[in-house]
Amino acid sequence: MNFLQFGPDDLAAIAPEIVLAAMGGLIVLLEAFAPATRRWFATLSLAGIAGSLYFLRRAPAGASFAGHYDTSALAVAVGLFLGATAAVAVLVASSYLERAGEERGEFYALLLWGHLGVSLMTRGLDLLIVFIGLETLSLSFYVLASFFRRTEASSEAGLKYFLTGAFSSAFTLYGIVFLFGKSGGILIANLARPGFAADPLVTLALLLLLVGFGFKMSLAPFHAWAPDVYQGMPTPAVAYLSVAPKGASLVVLYRVLSAVFQDGMPDRFRTGVAALAILSMTLGNVVALAQRDVKRLLAYSGIAHMGYVTIALAVFGWESLAAVIVYFFAYLVANAGAFAAVAALYRDETRPHPIGLLAGEGRRAPFRAAVFTLCFLSLAGIPATAGFIGKFFVFKAAIERGFYALAVIGVLNSLVSIGYYLKVVYFMYMRDSVEPEGPPPMAMADRLALSLCAAGILALGIFPAPLWALARRAAETLPFASP
Amino acid sequence: MDTLLQDRLLTVVVFLPTAGAALLLLFPESASKAAKWFAFCVSVVEFAVSIPLWTRFDVAKAGFQFVEKSDWIPSIGISYALGIDGISLLLILLTTLLTPVSLLFSVSHVQKSVRAFSIAFLLLETGMIGSLAALDLALFYVFWEVMLVPMYFIIGIWGGARRIYAAMKFFLFTMAGSLLMFLAILFLAVRHRALTGAWSFLLADLARLDLSPSTQALLFFAFALAFAIKVPVFPLHTWLPDAHTEAPTAGSIILAGVLLKLGVYGYLRFALPLFPEAALRYAPWVGALGVIGVIYGAMVAYAQKDMKRLVAYSSVSHLGLVVVGIGAFTTTALSGAVLQMVNHGLSTGALFLLVGVLYERRHTREIAAYGGIAGIVPVTTALFLVATLSSIGLPGLNGFVGEFLVLVGTWSSPHRWWAVAAATGVILSAVYMLSLVQRVFWNPLVHEENRALPEIRKTEFVAASVLVVLMVWIGVRPNDILSRLGPSIEAVQRSVSQRQALAAGGLRGPSLGLENSRPPFAKRTPAAQVR
Repeated sequence: MNFLQFGPDDLAAIAPEIVLAAMGGLIVLLEAFAPATRRWFATLSLAGIAGSLYFLRRAPAGASFAGHYDTSALAVAVGLFLGATAAVAVLVASSYLERAGEERGEFYALLLWGHLGVSLMTRGLDLLIVFIGLETLSLSFYVLASFFRRTEASSEAGLKYFLTGAFSSAFTLYGIVFLFGKSGGILIANLARPGFAADPLVTLALLLLLVGFGFKMSLAPFHAWAPDVYQGMPTPAVAYLSVAPKGASLVVLYRVLSAVFQDGMPDRFRTGVAALAILSMTLGNVVALAQRDVKRLLAYSGIAHMGYVTIALAVFGWESLAAVIVYFFAYLVANAGAFAAVAALYRDETRPHPIGLLAGEGRRAPFRAAVFTLCFLSLAGIPATAGFIGKFFVFKAAIERGFYALAVIGVLNSLVSIGYYLKVVYFMYMRDSVEPEGPPPMAMADRLALSLCAAGILALGIFPAPLWALARRAAETLPFASP
Repeated sequence: MDTLLQDRLLTVVVFLPTAGAALLLLFPESASKAAKWFAFCVSVVEFAVSIPLWTRFDVAKAGFQFVEKSDWIPSIGISYALGIDGISLLLILLTTLLTPVSLLFSVSHVQKSVRAFSIAFLLLETGMIGSLAALDLALFYVFWEVMLVPMYFIIGIWGGARRIYAAMKFFLFTMAGSLLMFLAILFLAVRHRALTGAWSFLLADLARLDLSPSTQALLFFAFALAFAIKVPVFPLHTWLPDAHTEAPTAGSIILAGVLLKLGVYGYLRFALPLFPEAALRYAPWVGALGVIGVIYGAMVAYAQKDMKRLVAYSSVSHLGLVVVGIGAFTTTALSGAVLQMVNHGLSTGALFLLVGVLYERRHTREIAAYGGIAGIVPVTTALFLVATLSSIGLPGLNGFVGEFLVLVGTWSSPHRWWAVAAATGVILSAVYMLSLVQRVFWNPLVHEENRALPEIRKTEFVAASVLVVLMVWIGVRPNDILSRLGPSIEAVQRSVSQRQALAAGGLRGPSLGLENSRPPFAKRTPAAQVR
């Protein structure tokens, strides 16, 4: 087929990404030629995200570009998740950048372009598009990581993310090349052929992909970059990076694995994935207990959470993918909300974010502290919050397929996690403040972002039925082998 | 509104406090006095609303009443199912009664972040009542865990010197138990789906699953652990003295009065009907741990120098007796055990309240810091004495009836020696409680500062005397309560014994009256179910 021949339907299918690219370009141009419009950048970015979601909803059903690009229910559900994450990040960014004195349009443009990359990753039905998306994401976020040029920590974050990112991209690319060589095509659908999974080279390729995307997910043992990068990167960018690319990576893995494993996941492969899950949960949770910096703590908590979702990957099957989608929506509202609260609670961005500085904020900044607490309760998986629903479906999928040990290790880990989540809560509510200077005044956008996350945590936690229906429809589009 | 109170009375009772808490968010932070009284009024209205549960409860009926059922997450069979029998009725009323009592006490004693305190308390009430009314296991688990969070804050923010440690320990202990229960609940639902093809988390559906003895034993262990930590059964009790001692007075009242009972309640409501064979097989262990709890708690209580800690350990002892009654499993013993839960809620609630009264005046809980104050605070002394006598089971007061029934019921069970051993605990309770009264109120007055000890306030007096009135009422007319308990207790027993006899096929047992699926279902192979 000729890639350059495409019709209006194909254009409609890729319109969401076109909108993002164009809006990013517009913001860069405005920054250069009309800097007075800066205060509208956040609004423009939100408009871009909203427009992209609008076109995504209206995209014609079925794959486009001759089967290279996905417009199915899965693309829509994941797109909704990604768009919501980007929206929270933009909302948080507006007042955050102003406080940090770095209110530059590049931030929004790079965020939108990174978002575009993640969308490509999740919608690509061919490995080349996936890789292009991955690289677009990575390049944008290499720059975002070192956005505070004058701060040492930020430069360090940029360099670390770049080096490990380049390394992991190489793994991914090797994996793609092997798959290409064995299947003779770049379409993921081409991988679905009998006996393909038994080929050792294919297994090697899948392992390479697992490593490559494991890096992006900050799955142990490929997690080492996360704490340092989170610490130095501007917090709104972390709110995005710590959620969206992780979900996207998992979706790509599901796409590839569901195509290759026509007869279900082989046991040895599953054992490996399960081992990663256990390692990631345990390491993330135990190391998080020792953290003193809030952003590092959230980084390790993220590593642990990737362990929980990897349980679902090990379980495999559409229920597990639906559980992953629900989990990521829950993780979005709680984790992006937590970073939004971090952004709104700390005054000085050039310094680290010790937990101790939060002492007494429960009284000085009751709204922000309350939302932060709610986010932690959700991350800990306390019922009536979104996080519980996420864990509920993941553990249900595990028990349904008989993986009792994984489920037990999972819940014991969430017990450990309570130790550090409550530590932050303890500082906010049960210690008197040490810092004479309180938290910065709260901007309207911060309040909006925090309210949305809090509402999301409670809404998904109390009325999860619509989300589960959405996730289920999305998951059923992949060709899972019936067990 | 009328139909709401008619058809959805339980929903109203469960969520009225939440609505009150939501309204409290609208209060300005500074309006602490208004917030206190508003929360108190909400809890009084809540009590008033819960009265019809008592009056409209059909004493002759054995099944669940005031049943409500609607879908919650229909695609996996989670429903919003509420209903109460005599056991939950009593505990719900105990909750709606103790909450205003605690809040009334707090009106004059909580100064810090009053609004947040009131919100936490009201949310806690929703969690407790919800757990007592839920008939769907997923729903139950949600309420069960939701209780933890407000209690964590109540201990951690408004508690005593070692509050942080106590709050954390409370949270982790309780959570540790319930997480395994969570997996067990999921397992049951998955098994139900494999056997019948339909998802359900309803107790009535899951109670009819036929499980192999080893599976039952594992699941029973997961449930029993969660409940045993909550009760707490020896040796899982170590969180209790810390939590009770460090919690603010109102928190201690609710902890001792209601939260502990939820462990026993959960055992009766869920663990017994779900895993009858395992429950009967392990009943000797349950009873033996109860006996150890009775004696151990009493002996440790006697050694305490801190009033609150003493009362806390007395809870371990008293709850031990309740556990003995559950383990004995005769109708009399079970009735006595449930009644004793209510009695303990009243007497220990009153004791914590009165200790709180003294503490707020002297800011010490050391027994040695008091002595000879009977003449200075005669009203406090009198109330304390009544609560003490109720706690040690003086005939004419409520404690006697409960203890007597448990001991008689246990004596007629196969485990006669438990009754003998547990009876020593009753004697020991007189030893440590009377010596407490002796050392605090009688003995010569040695500390001069106690001469100016102010008498109990009006609000405190009202709060305490409500409890005292109930102690006398139950002591004199225990049948008002026992008549409501009888059919429910027998239903629990039937659900265990018949299910044992009928075990056969994929589903078993008599109907509990609220199931989604109807027997008989052919046993299908699991492979045919899972997509």
